[in-house]
Amino acid sequence: MASNTAIKVSNLTHTVTSNTGDLTILKGINMEIKESESVAIVGSSGSGKSTLLGLLAGLDVNTSGEVFLYDQAFSGQSEERRALIRGEYVGFVFQSFHLLPSLQAIENVMLPAELKGDKEARKKAEVLLEKVGLSHRLTHYPNQLSGGEQQRVAIARAFASNPKILFADEPTGNLDEENGKLIIKLLFELNQSQGTTLVMVTHDNELAKMCDRQLVMSAGQLTEKSL
Amino acid sequence: MSFTFRLMLRDLRSGDLLTLLLALVISVSTVTSIGLFIDRLQLSFEQESANLLAADRLVRSDDELPDEWKVKAEALSLRYAERISFTTMMFADNSLQLSQLSAVTEGYPLKGAYLVDDTLFGTGQSSTEAPQPGEIWVSSRLASLLNVQIGNQVDVGDATFTVTKYLVRDPGSSTSAFAISPRAVMNMADLAATNVIIPGSRVRYSLLLAGERAALSEYEDWITPQLNEGQRWQTPTQRGERIGDTIGRAESFLLLAGTLAVIMSGVAMALASARFVKRHLMQVAILKTLGATPKLLGKVFFQQLFTLFLAGALIGLGIGWAIQELIASILSGLMSTALPEPSVSRLWLGVATGAISMLVFCLPLMSHLIKISPLSVLQPNAKVELNTVFIYVIGFMGMYGLMCVYTNGFLLPSIMTAAISAIALFVAGIGWMAFKLGRSLTSGATSGWQIGLASLYRRLVPNLFQLLVFTLIIMLTLILIGVKSNLIADWQQQLPEDAPNHYLFNVQAEQIESINDATDALNVPRSDWYPMVRGRVIEANGESVEALYPEERGEPELYERELNLTWSDSIGKGNELVAGDFSANGLSVEQKAAQEAKLSLGDELTINIGGNIITLPITSIRTVDWGSMQPNFYLMLPKSALEDYPANFVSSLFIDETAAQPFYKAMSQFPTVSILNVGDILKQIQSIIGQLSKAIQLVLFCILSAGALVLLASVRSTLEERLEEGALLRVLGAKSALVRQALLVEFGALGFFAGIIAALGAEACLFGLQVFVFNSQASVHPLLWVLGPVIGVCVISTIGIFASRTVLKVPPMLLLRGL
Repeated sequence: MASNTAIKVSNLTHTVTSNTGDLTILKGINMEIKESESVAIVGSSGSGKSTLLGLLAGLDVNTSGEVFLYDQAFSGQSEERRALIRGEYVGFVFQSFHLLPSLQAIENVMLPAELKGDKEARKKAEVLLEKVGLSHRLTHYPNQLSGGEQQRVAIARAFASNPKILFADEPTGNLDEENGKLIIKLLFELNQSQGTTLVMVTHDNELAKMCDRQLVMSAGQLTEKSL
Repeated sequence: MSFTFRLMLRDLRSGDLLTLLLALVISVSTVTSIGLFIDRLQLSFEQESANLLAADRLVRSDDELPDEWKVKAEALSLRYAERISFTTMMFADNSLQLSQLSAVTEGYPLKGAYLVDDTLFGTGQSSTEAPQPGEIWVSSRLASLLNVQIGNQVDVGDATFTVTKYLVRDPGSSTSAFAISPRAVMNMADLAATNVIIPGSRVRYSLLLAGERAALSEYEDWITPQLNEGQRWQTPTQRGERIGDTIGRAESFLLLAGTLAVIMSGVAMALASARFVKRHLMQVAILKTLGATPKLLGKVFFQQLFTLFLAGALIGLGIGWAIQELIASILSGLMSTALPEPSVSRLWLGVATGAISMLVFCLPLMSHLIKISPLSVLQPNAKVELNTVFIYVIGFMGMYGLMCVYTNGFLLPSIMTAAISAIALFVAGIGWMAFKLGRSLTSGATSGWQIGLASLYRRLVPNLFQLLVFTLIIMLTLILIGVKSNLIADWQQQLPEDAPNHYLFNVQAEQIESINDATDALNVPRSDWYPMVRGRVIEANGESVEALYPEERGEPELYERELNLTWSDSIGKGNELVAGDFSANGLSVEQKAAQEAKLSLGDELTINIGGNIITLPITSIRTVDWGSMQPNFYLMLPKSALEDYPANFVSSLFIDETAAQPFYKAMSQFPTVSILNVGDILKQIQSIIGQLSKAIQLVLFCILSAGALVLLASVRSTLEERLEEGALLRVLGAKSALVRQALLVEFGALGFFAGIIAALGAEACLFGLQVFVFNSQASVHPLLWVLGPVIGVCVISTIGIFASRTVLKVPPMLLLRGL
């Protein structure tokens, strides 16, 4: 694998067992995403986009095939090891923000750095929150923030660990147009300024078009959409 | 500060950890306070009862005490004293009198005090010292019979003594309350000089012991295997004696109350843990996406739980200690003696309850929490499968173990577990039907009533669980109320204010009239006169007692000794006929004695009365209230069988303090009549019972407070769903009043059902307790049927509305955002 490859997937298959029998959601996926690239994964509901994202980030264990993040193989690794790899390489932005309700905005942003034992966590979090325009909301709790503000805190948190890869799951799905645009702008700005690889699952065509590449998920298969 | 503690402080701020901490504090403090308080009461009962025994423990023997018994007592640093009691003739100038004499060593009594007086028939002052060598103390009656006063001399065997005090009460006398000769006490040093004890004399030797509990029980373990026939180990609260039974029942009640506290603490911990885990599932998943490894999370949660445990245990112990001190200080004004200090060693119980609750309820849930898949952040359904059966089995086993440790046995925990399981099944069945009915009656919900009732079925499982918790707590409350009033009523019935406190024995038929006149003149109430003839049962259904019990072991009381036999035209106060015909020409036997000897109506007993043998069938069986202090008899014969024998008569009287002195003076005209004063013993018993009743009410109050807190925890555990629904209703335009009404109806209905089922359960349990434990008549308790639903509706609605008040106050937008 070339050194500028951030993610490499080969022959990735994922099968889940349900009441009606085994269901294969991903059928032999192969792809490669380069460092600093922005990639949108699009497709209809239930096509397997989120499952793919989960497997790319090591949140789940695939049935067969291989996933590599910067030469690190996820497949067959223990939950412990996968968590360590995530901590080192990965940041997340979710559709429903997923801030910890018991923590203030700044504390949410400090978490990833704190997990790494970074003593500068607070200072870094203040800088990041300032970048997303929330320096006046540091000590607010998530339920005291609007949806757009919560997602901006989530983005600040995602970048707090200086991730090499940022996974975003429908980052604008719960936001109005205006806030959605603001979030997208922030995501791409940080993606570019920090050289982060961006992998985003979205329904939003406009958003997908802003990415370097678009991958279309359909019936468990992934195809490249020509731009 | 480490990451763990930073996270913990933030969690504390949010209130989630606080709920857990609160449950732990409730757990530890309830068990600690009740445990310590029970310990203090037990110590206090023991002390009070020790006054009746004149020692903490006593070994009684018909033979001389082996020296090694005393050596062992010294080795264990126990204080000891000796008492030798025997009946002997005492002489003074021209008179002589058979008397009950005790010789005691220095230091006697080890507990309690003598009551002595310088005035004849005085009421006495206490003295903790025994007579000096050369001195003798005699009871006022003995002094009158011997016609001596203080300063006079009396002879016992070969020795002469000076009367220095009138003996009002000997603290150890209750153990031989029915020794009817007048009493005297002398110093042990003088005993040898009297030469009255010769081989074969009927003498009772007692070794009295006092000291640390541990040393006493070590001594008991050492001596018990060595005891042979005619030797007995005695504790202040000996079973079978009235005072022992009273205290035994009170201890059972307190133990029951303590066990309930343990159960409630367990429920509180289980509820709080479940809530904590539920609220942290997503947080753990998020932390995992941020790179937190299971190992790190395990460490974080373990450290958090450990810190929480330390904090909860310390705060709980502090509060527990404070509560029991508070109870004790409230009680101090009511109690005759100060409560002894609690043993610090009892503190482990509260700590163990907290530790085991955390281990069995928190740890398994936490370990599941750590296993949650990080995928949950993308797919909320991908949550970890909680093996709830496993968790509750562990929880149950932990609580069961704790109850076993607490009650020092398996019986009570097993009975309670079985009862609670049966009730759980019953509640689930009834609740399901009632909720379903509620829903079918309320289709197309529009009013608060309908929304409230429909909610019951919509949240079926949590509501059934809550119904069970409510039912159990209300039921326990009702049982405790029922038991409390049963116990107290039972005791009060046992010892009415004007219970007779004196017995008159050895009264001849021709003296009765004059004694009646004398007591009537003093307005002293008196029971009927009963003639007494001594006789011994020698055969049962034609078979000799010796053949039935060849080794003279395990003989029923009826055959064991010479009995006082009587006849009467009527069955008498305190007696109740349970079978047969009292007026028939046969024997009337006391029920327990008959049961012990396996006798029933129609069986024949042969009795030897002064050498004459008579055989009679049993024609009636009676119960006897031994606590009534009336003259009572195991065997009553037909008048025709006894009237030709010379009889002594017996009666009991109630003499109050003002009548005492004139009464004793009047009785000095009848020097042959024996008077037995049991008033002091009764007074002590009454004071113990008074303390017990107060204590039980306070413990009940403690348990109920803990119950209310558990209810609160239980309501909080389903708060989120209620908040969400309330907020949605308000968003959809419902007025606060409608939401409040719906909540009131939901909680009110839960409380009502719980109250009704609880009343039913309590009634069943009380029936069992009355019939099998307290041996009293079963009765219906209408009060419970009113109290149950009323407590249910009022308390649960209040707690529910209090816990859910945010639904009504906070703007719905904030609520929805926070969910």
